[in-house]
Amino acid sequence: MTVKILYLYADFMNLYGDNGNVRIMQRRLEDQGFNVVIENSTVYDDDIDFDADFVYMGSGYESNRNLALAHLSRFKGSLLRAVVNGVPMLFTGNSYDLLGKGITTADGTFLEGLGIFNYSFKEQLEKRYTGDVVLEEVATKDRFVGFVNRAGIPDSTEDMCCDAIKVIGNVPITKDAARVHNLLGISLIGPVLLKNPNLAEFFVSAICNRKGIEYKEIFYPRSTRSHEKTLKALLETDAGKKAR
Amino acid sequence: MKIRAFTALVVCKAVRGLAKLFGRGSSLPGKYALKICPDILAHLELPELSIAVTGSNGKTSSVEMIAHVLQNNGYKVAYNKEGSNQIEGVVTFLLGASNMKGKVLSDIVLLEADERYARHTFKYFHPKYLVINNLYRDQMTRNGHPEWIKSIIGQAIYDDMTLILNADDPLVASFGKDREGTIYFGARILPGDKLRNEGVYDDGKYCPICKKPMKYEYYHYNHIGKFKCLHCGFSRPKIDHALTETKDENGKASITIDDKYEISVFFTGIYHCYNILAAFTAATAIGIEPEKVASSLSGYVLKSGRISDFTLGKTQGRLLLSKHENSVSYDRSIDVVVGDSRKKSVMIIVDAISRKYYTSDSSWLWDINFEKLKETEIDKIFLVGQYCDDLAVRFDLAGIDQDKVQVYETVQEAADNCNNLDSYLYVITCFSDKEKILSIVTRRELT
Ligand SMILES: [Zn+2]
Repeated sequence: MTVKILYLYADFMNLYGDNGNVRIMQRRLEDQGFNVVIENSTVYDDDIDFDADFVYMGSGYESNRNLALAHLSRFKGSLLRAVVNGVPMLFTGNSYDLLGKGITTADGTFLEGLGIFNYSFKEQLEKRYTGDVVLEEVATKDRFVGFVNRAGIPDSTEDMCCDAIKVIGNVPITKDAARVHNLLGISLIGPVLLKNPNLAEFFVSAICNRKGIEYKEIFYPRSTRSHEKTLKALLETDAGKKAR
Repeated sequence: MKIRAFTALVVCKAVRGLAKLFGRGSSLPGKYALKICPDILAHLELPELSIAVTGSNGKTSSVEMIAHVLQNNGYKVAYNKEGSNQIEGVVTFLLGASNMKGKVLSDIVLLEADERYARHTFKYFHPKYLVINNLYRDQMTRNGHPEWIKSIIGQAIYDDMTLILNADDPLVASFGKDREGTIYFGARILPGDKLRNEGVYDDGKYCPICKKPMKYEYYHYNHIGKFKCLHCGFSRPKIDHALTETKDENGKASITIDDKYEISVFFTGIYHCYNILAAFTAATAIGIEPEKVASSLSGYVLKSGRISDFTLGKTQGRLLLSKHENSVSYDRSIDVVVGDSRKKSVMIIVDAISRKYYTSDSSWLWDINFEKLKETEIDKIFLVGQYCDDLAVRFDLAGIDQDKVQVYETVQEAADNCNNLDSYLYVITCFSDKEKILSIVTRRELT
């Protein structure tokens, strides 16, 4: 059986090794017995086909992200239908920002977001908010580790599902990440599915469910060790708020 | 000189003296001076000539070479050779080079400027020339990303400066757009150039000005090459000084600039060539005859070399110093491995990501073209350090033959398992981790 990964703006929103998430999903889906097809979209495409089994979007320059938002907004209807239909989707880094009400850019322009969540982000150019963080999902107590590298902070946290239980660096957040149906948006950048195998399992099992195939539990020891080592290191380090 | 500036100067000199006594080449003196007088730099009397160098890679090497050429041609040079390139470090060295009246006693000030701090340093004094080498994905855990770095370097550029730019880097070249008098350096088509971008990512795919697709005639490496925007017409500017040839025959290596100035070098790595070209362009810009610049640069051995040969038990090897959090530097090291036709093994060490700050971010491993290692015959691959699991997943998904791969938590374990190889061992790692292997190989050489 074939599954399709839709990689949104692969050549535009791939700033921090984000391609790793697509590769990890491909491998894990192949391990479940699927034949995997990856479709990359660009901001110059005339259409985006959301008839996919997994949708991914990563981080980019703010200027790129703004163009991606403008492009994606043209297909908002079909994107929202796919969300409601439970298509598993992952938005990492600053692509998570565009799922909210909007983004106020550094020059004061307000860009309307996709409106899936209630937050909006305000950006500036003077400094970057960067740091290692540990997030804990309030409902499940699941912990996610990774790095945040962004220009904006949110004005509201009501839709956010994780507490930031440790921040090392300059990231003024207390909460992060938002979920609805099988969509997850999260500030962490790069291959978050490597260091957070529980997230990879969530998406793979959701895809199997939707395909009516029994999900095989497969252990990925390297990924688990990477998560455990990073979590331990981040919780133990006293680097605290040391500036970069 | 105002009393506050004078006090700052005295304190800086005193602390600097003390620091020297205790063997600390830090930027602490400048830090104190800035506390007492935040605009201390504005009170200094600087020589008319000054050159600053910034960019992602090659700042230290370029500055070292420019200093060498200037000194060789009779200039008295003040420069931050201790490599502290943030504002505190700049204050420390400038006050150190000045007399008690705040007059900097040199013919020229040469400055390595951190790309994030240049906007603070240049608020108070403007270098006559500003060299920008390149802008890559580099240390993004603190540098954000190249376009952000471009925007904050932009805050450091004033109308009275002459820019010396790498014409082959679109983001860097865009600083010269609509700016008269800009001097450009670049490379003509060279052996080893590519017709398409080979990287995992392509930062030259879209125009930095209008974001529409660009087309390259050729790539020297990554996004460095001869580019043209198909939409707005922004293109690689006309070059004032060009690298026209690189030769490496029978152990004799040389490069040629502007078709006529031959410079003998120890290796023709493209990185190194651009640093030499930047130094050549800066030195000729201030008026030194190109023949003299070429002869000064010829045969110059960098103090900050990035290659060390070693023996580990029976194994012969070479350390290729790269930079963690900088995929471009790793890609260049991989090119060296792939270009070697001997039987060889590779060790990658990622243990401490930075020596200056803490981070566990290993996302940059996914920007490195490890896939390229499949183009050559590799005996064994050793993935080593705290981040060995991240490396192992990366190498697995790169499609590299897993039978060749060995994974070790510590450098010592890895060393114990590769001291009897009949293949040549390349070690690729960063400043932050190099001592972990160098201390072992040195020790074994002694025993
Ligand atoms: Zn353009």
